[in-house]
Amino acid sequence: MTAPALASASRIKLPRSLGRGAILALFSALLVLYVAGPVGWLVSSSLQAESEITAVPPNWVPPHPTLGNFEAIFGAGKRTVTYENRWRGDAATSRFLPSGAENLLPSLWNSFTVGVWVALLNLIVSITAAYAIAVIHFRGRQTALYAILVTRVIPDIALIVPLFLLVRNLDLINTRLSLVITYLAVTIPFTIFILISYFEQIPRDLYRAARADGCSHVQALAHVYLPLSLPALVASLMFAFLTSWNEFIFALILTQNIASQTLPIVISGFVMDFTTSFSFVNAAGVIAIVPPVVLAIVFERYIVSGLTAGAVKG
Amino acid sequence: MSGAAGGTPALAAGSAFDRLNRRFGYDERSAALLILPVFAVLAAIAVFPIVYSLYTSLFDINLTRPWRRPFVGLGNYTRVFADPNFWIAVQRTTLYTVVTVTATTLLAVAVALLLNEAFPGRRLLSALVLLPWATPSVVNGLMWKWIYDPGYGLLNGLLTQLGLIDHYAVWLGDPDKTLFMIANAAIWKQMPLAAILMLVTMKAIPEDLYKAATVDGANVFQRFWHVTLPALRPGLMLVLVYETMISIRHFDLFLIMTQGGPGNASYTLSWEIYVETFRNLKFGIGAALSYILALATFSLSYLFIRALGRKLA
Repeated sequence: MTAPALASASRIKLPRSLGRGAILALFSALLVLYVAGPVGWLVSSSLQAESEITAVPPNWVPPHPTLGNFEAIFGAGKRTVTYENRWRGDAATSRFLPSGAENLLPSLWNSFTVGVWVALLNLIVSITAAYAIAVIHFRGRQTALYAILVTRVIPDIALIVPLFLLVRNLDLINTRLSLVITYLAVTIPFTIFILISYFEQIPRDLYRAARADGCSHVQALAHVYLPLSLPALVASLMFAFLTSWNEFIFALILTQNIASQTLPIVISGFVMDFTTSFSFVNAAGVIAIVPPVVLAIVFERYIVSGLTAGAVKG
Repeated sequence: MSGAAGGTPALAAGSAFDRLNRRFGYDERSAALLILPVFAVLAAIAVFPIVYSLYTSLFDINLTRPWRRPFVGLGNYTRVFADPNFWIAVQRTTLYTVVTVTATTLLAVAVALLLNEAFPGRRLLSALVLLPWATPSVVNGLMWKWIYDPGYGLLNGLLTQLGLIDHYAVWLGDPDKTLFMIANAAIWKQMPLAAILMLVTMKAIPEDLYKAATVDGANVFQRFWHVTLPALRPGLMLVLVYETMISIRHFDLFLIMTQGGPGNASYTLSWEIYVETFRNLKFGIGAALSYILALATFSLSYLFIRALGRKLA
């Protein structure tokens, strides 16, 4: 039976009974299995040696958990991997080191720096535009919003060739800067939308009072709107970082060397190289998944409120 | 308007500025300046590529012979429409989109119904649901590719251990299954956002409606059908259109998992654009295909933006 305290908080969509508890427990368990199962298997595989992940039937739980695959990634920079010796990555676990394994750590750093720059620049540029559209009742604000949102309608793949030519003409091919710039095109429209929804919820009397006290628009933004919008600002930072961390196709075309390639590009190289061992690739996948998952779960409240801000007001 | 108080003296100095100042109020000038950075950035990295792409689509550009690039008008478009591969891609894209959008939406409604109940651990569960959303698509692709692995994958292991199949089957490598297998990976990743959007819509339904329905003797299913479902319409439409936009142009999983194969079993429009542009180096055809896909997306997302834009009115 559900506890009385809980029952009073219940939304009473389902009748309160033993059956309700059982149904909720069953579906909760199914949902946990569905969302966490595949990732759990990825983590489990990454802790197994090559001989163990190729067992039939599969080892659901690592029989001899090993961090060998992670050691291989973090130690890859120290040894020279050639075509000849890549099969002999580690005799004990018969680990196969793909060529390019030493690129993983630099690409991790690239992903991180690009993500941080995108998050910061995206917020700085979007804040003022969102304030202008949400707060200042100027002519054509609706048109301005449509113009910004409509740029996201074109498929990314359609933008690649012109962006490639643009980046090449600016001599920015194989730079992290080229990624920062192009990712802004993806993040800005959505960020502006999040911030507008949030700014519009702030009571307009605060704005009127600030303006009556002689605040300029910039001052009203800095002293009234920004302090009250912390959740939306956090959501925007997280969203932009995650978008940048996960982005694939722009980075695939715009970066060809390790000075600029991000983690998804290096990992996709392993996945499409059929000689690569899955134990190694799985460990790389776990490394790529950790930062976004930690951020998403820690900032869950902000992300959910940001993603849904005003989206379904009807 | 008390606006002039905030205007900086430097701004009002030149005579051109004087004229602008008389023409537009402080509010308009501020708005223009505050919005300018975004418009400048988007003009360079969004509007320019969009226009340039359209221009490219009118020329026969083939990088295998870069010295000759004749203007062909709508020639690239007619060539695309006459190409049987294009219609295969349309068919594959439609199937993939319908499967992905339908399953994602149904799953999202079910998950939202669960998270809308009050029970211990609900907060933890709703945080956990973000896990697939946060997973990078490359990792999503490699994870499912490994699960589907014909030799050592978990799917074969699970089905064998449950006694549902008696020998390991091929999943991604089977042309009849591959689109559904890729769709499954996409649904897994796209479900959380759709579920959150549905949940927010559900939370906005007044409690009184449920109480009234219960008093009237409605059971769980009747309450869902007559109270929840009609109130879900705005969220449902948003999810349907958004998921369609995402699915119709999805690319990452096709590159990572199957590269259009086996044969042409996962040869979708976005994959065709990639092949024509970066493998065949036919930039003109690639741009024309992009525009066809963009127009299809645009027609759908017009609804999406209308739904979003309404709140500003």
